[in-house]
Amino acid sequence: MKWSQFFNTSIGKKLLVGATGLFLCSFVIVHLAGNIALLKEDNGEAFNTYAAFMGHNGLIQFIAWGLKIVILLHAVIAIQLTIRNRAARPVKYAVRPKGNTTSSWFSRQMAIMGSILFIFIVIHLSQFWWSMHFGNLNTISYDGGKEIGNLYESVWFAFRELWIVALYVIGMIALSFHLVHGFKSACQTFGLNHKKYNGIIHFIGVWIFGILIPVGFAAIPVVIYIKQI
Amino acid sequence: MKLTLQVWRQQNSQDKGRFEAYQVSDVSEDMSFLEMFDVLNERLINEGKEPIAFDHDCREGICGMCSMYINGRAHGPWEETTTCQLHMRAYNDGDTIVVEPWRAAAFPVIKDLTVDRSAFDRIMQAGGYISVNTGNAVDANAIPIDKHDADMAFAAAACIGCGACVAACKNSSAMLFTSAKVSQLALLPQGGPERKERALDMVAQMDKEGFGSCTNTGACEAECPKGISLANIARLNREFIAAGFGTED
Repeated sequence: MKWSQFFNTSIGKKLLVGATGLFLCSFVIVHLAGNIALLKEDNGEAFNTYAAFMGHNGLIQFIAWGLKIVILLHAVIAIQLTIRNRAARPVKYAVRPKGNTTSSWFSRQMAIMGSILFIFIVIHLSQFWWSMHFGNLNTISYDGGKEIGNLYESVWFAFRELWIVALYVIGMIALSFHLVHGFKSACQTFGLNHKKYNGIIHFIGVWIFGILIPVGFAAIPVVIYIKQI
Repeated sequence: MKLTLQVWRQQNSQDKGRFEAYQVSDVSEDMSFLEMFDVLNERLINEGKEPIAFDHDCREGICGMCSMYINGRAHGPWEETTTCQLHMRAYNDGDTIVVEPWRAAAFPVIKDLTVDRSAFDRIMQAGGYISVNTGNAVDANAIPIDKHDADMAFAAAACIGCGACVAACKNSSAMLFTSAKVSQLALLPQGGPERKERALDMVAQMDKEGFGSCTNTGACEAECPKGISLANIARLNREFIAAGFGTED
């Protein structure tokens, strides 16, 4: 089977969705690790230094652009599969099982949660990433060092607004619900289903990606908001 | 007991179809679900009406012919039970039961509750076989097989090809069926020679038939009357990856 054929099969496309999804899972860990610096009340030294490094390192910028392509790829292929999946059942059932216990609720909401997440990412990027790279961010220098963009200030400023905080919390709920099933599902797509390891896969998917990371992200705007009341 | 049935009636694949209500009385709790349909059909024939077409054969839960979507569940409410083995004691007097055919683009309705499942046959023809030399019968147990592998192959081979997995899946995906058929051969040495082509060809045929893709919800496993495990789908994925990355053409 040629590559073009292979990646056009249902499993081939799922492998692409799974691979991009796992890459994005690895990204959220790095992103959260960096964002924690936002909570440090040091006038933004730690966070702005980190942001300036990330924004000017060639390799990281290369990966950052790749990341945006990966998000688009993940979404486009998932949409292709969803259209195909919907077409596979042209006539719907009249009766839908009440309290459907045959599959988890999270597993059936992947497209919806993914869509909410995508909208969130667009808003999030236009709000901070765009202003950092193309907007006019205030600059600041620490201990007479180089002038760097003060992203810390604009983040703290944005999270004075309750509705923006609410938007971020909603975005992270969508992330949580998406990853509760997403991580496990990607593992299954890659064939990682084994009695000895299913427990750890479930643990990482639900507790690390489904709860710990989204809660960590959501805590940042909430804490910043509370501190500024 | 007395029951109200809402049954899908459809003259042929071109017909739009509709639900029709039937009152059935004197339903014994010892009747199977299909026996209740037999009684109803007998009445319809006596009344000069068209009986309800439905698939059935062995009525022992092993042939995979029966296929009813009952109150939103493939093969009804009992776990690991085909419609023919579902008994009326699952219901109470006065219940309304809605009976629909399997719904999938790849399973067009032939008539009423009967659907065309030949898509499964074509998936099997694409690679669900092994090549065996003719001649004298080979000694049984001539090839040593790990007991655990044999057990897993046997569990996968329990698939009766009824299509409940497709019916239960929100994507009408045939992954559980295809994976069971690939697994039962991939786990055994006899399946070795055609292993790569099998995974590639059966998946390609599955896609061609218009089944959806798997989103790993697990509804198929929950509804499978033979308890086929999702682990088979992971195995099919591994087989497919190995074949796709490993073949030269």
